Amino acid sequence: MSEDRFLELAPLAALGILDGDDRSGFEAHIGGCVVCRAELAVHQAVVALIPLALVPVAPGQRLRERIVAGENAHAGTTRHWPALLATAASLALAVGLLLLRGQRDAARADADRAHARAEAAQAEARESAAALVAAQRDLGEAVGFRALLQRRQSRITGLAGLPAAPKAMARVIWDPTTREAVLVATGLDPVPAGKAYEAWVIASGAPVAAGVFRPDADGRAVLRLLAVDETSRATTFAVTLEPEAGVPAPTGPMVLAGAV
Amino acid sequence: MTLPAAESLIRRLASGEQGALAEFYDLYSGLVHALALRILRHGADAEDVVQEVFLQAWRQAARFDAARGSVEAWLCTIARSRALDRLRRRVSRREDPGAAAPAPSAIPRNEEALAVRKAIGGLSEDQRQALELAYYEGLTQSEIAARLGEPLGTVKTRIRTAMIRLREVLGPLPS
Repeated sequence: MSEDRFLELAPLAALGILDGDDRSGFEAHIGGCVVCRAELAVHQAVVALIPLALVPVAPGQRLRERIVAGENAHAGTTRHWPALLATAASLALAVGLLLLRGQRDAARADADRAHARAEAAQAEARESAAALVAAQRDLGEAVGFRALLQRRQSRITGLAGLPAAPKAMARVIWDPTTREAVLVATGLDPVPAGKAYEAWVIASGAPVAAGVFRPDADGRAVLRLLAVDETSRATTFAVTLEPEAGVPAPTGPMVLAGAV
Repeated sequence: MTLPAAESLIRRLASGEQGALAEFYDLYSGLVHALALRILRHGADAEDVVQEVFLQAWRQAARFDAARGSVEAWLCTIARSRALDRLRRRVSRREDPGAAAPAPSAIPRNEEALAVRKAIGGLSEDQRQALELAYYEGLTQSEIAARLGEPLGTVKTRIRTAMIRLREVLGPLPS
């Protein structure tokens, strides 16, 4: 299956609808491909928004009482118990609470087991990722170059390392028509804990965030930039060092920049 | 609710502050319930899911990461997963959903909800139908193709196009 095919599967994977060879192929590929992982994450964010279109429907009042009672029990307000237990209604409430607590404890146990499984899976994924670093690097670059360079309207902009990262270099291959863009960077320093690099697209106004990334152990990174409107009329691409979650406007030192 | 206010409420919930769960429930239970109802079409099952979702959110509030999306999106992701699990168990037992879901009674709550509704409203009928089968019924791509009587390739293209369209209309998103 070609790289382009995997990118095309990312929106479907985000919805959880892949099956058959598509599913097994995508799952085998995603662990080692930073481009597809970024694409998947963006589409997962879109999927999470879909239900916001629903019109809220309030559940019954008794459900609220049951759930909020769980909080009161959790807070350990024992001084209220004698009075509460004196009524038949509170007896029913206590039964509800026991059920709720039991359910919560079971859920916690489930979560602990899931956590252990996730840790084991993460360790396995890290090992696989290390083995795939070289292939990922080549593949990632190939995606960017092949998909974009084949188009007549695609452009390449060089980004130079600034004083904060004098050894860094990067290229952005971008298509102003489709707003697709891939950043390929080398010579980047490792990021400190809690930090990541963030890419920016600048048109006429303020810089627009286009994705966060970390370089591999060799200081290289491939990032498929978010398809922001500014890419259609970009004048500058830049990279700064920011908190790992990303920020809406640059706050940290600029490490790479290049004018179109 | 603005994001900083929602984050503050989540922090109060995580710290076990008295009253935070009630406040949190009052803000978000209508949306979670609407989603569970849309998937399950059964009042009692939907309320069970609401209870599970708020229990999980209460327990995992400290893990909420605002960089990955809004509180609503987080809760809906949990709710969809739990409701689809329940739907699949019901289908495997060949149960009938029984009672119909109550009708909604209000308009969408905020600008984000309106933007999403408008974005979905901008899809073609074919795209919207396929997307809803994927999201609300939890069908796989092959199952959707069978349900619609369309070739698999057509269905995949239709859903992919719909997702890309939503992504474009809804703008930059947390990744």
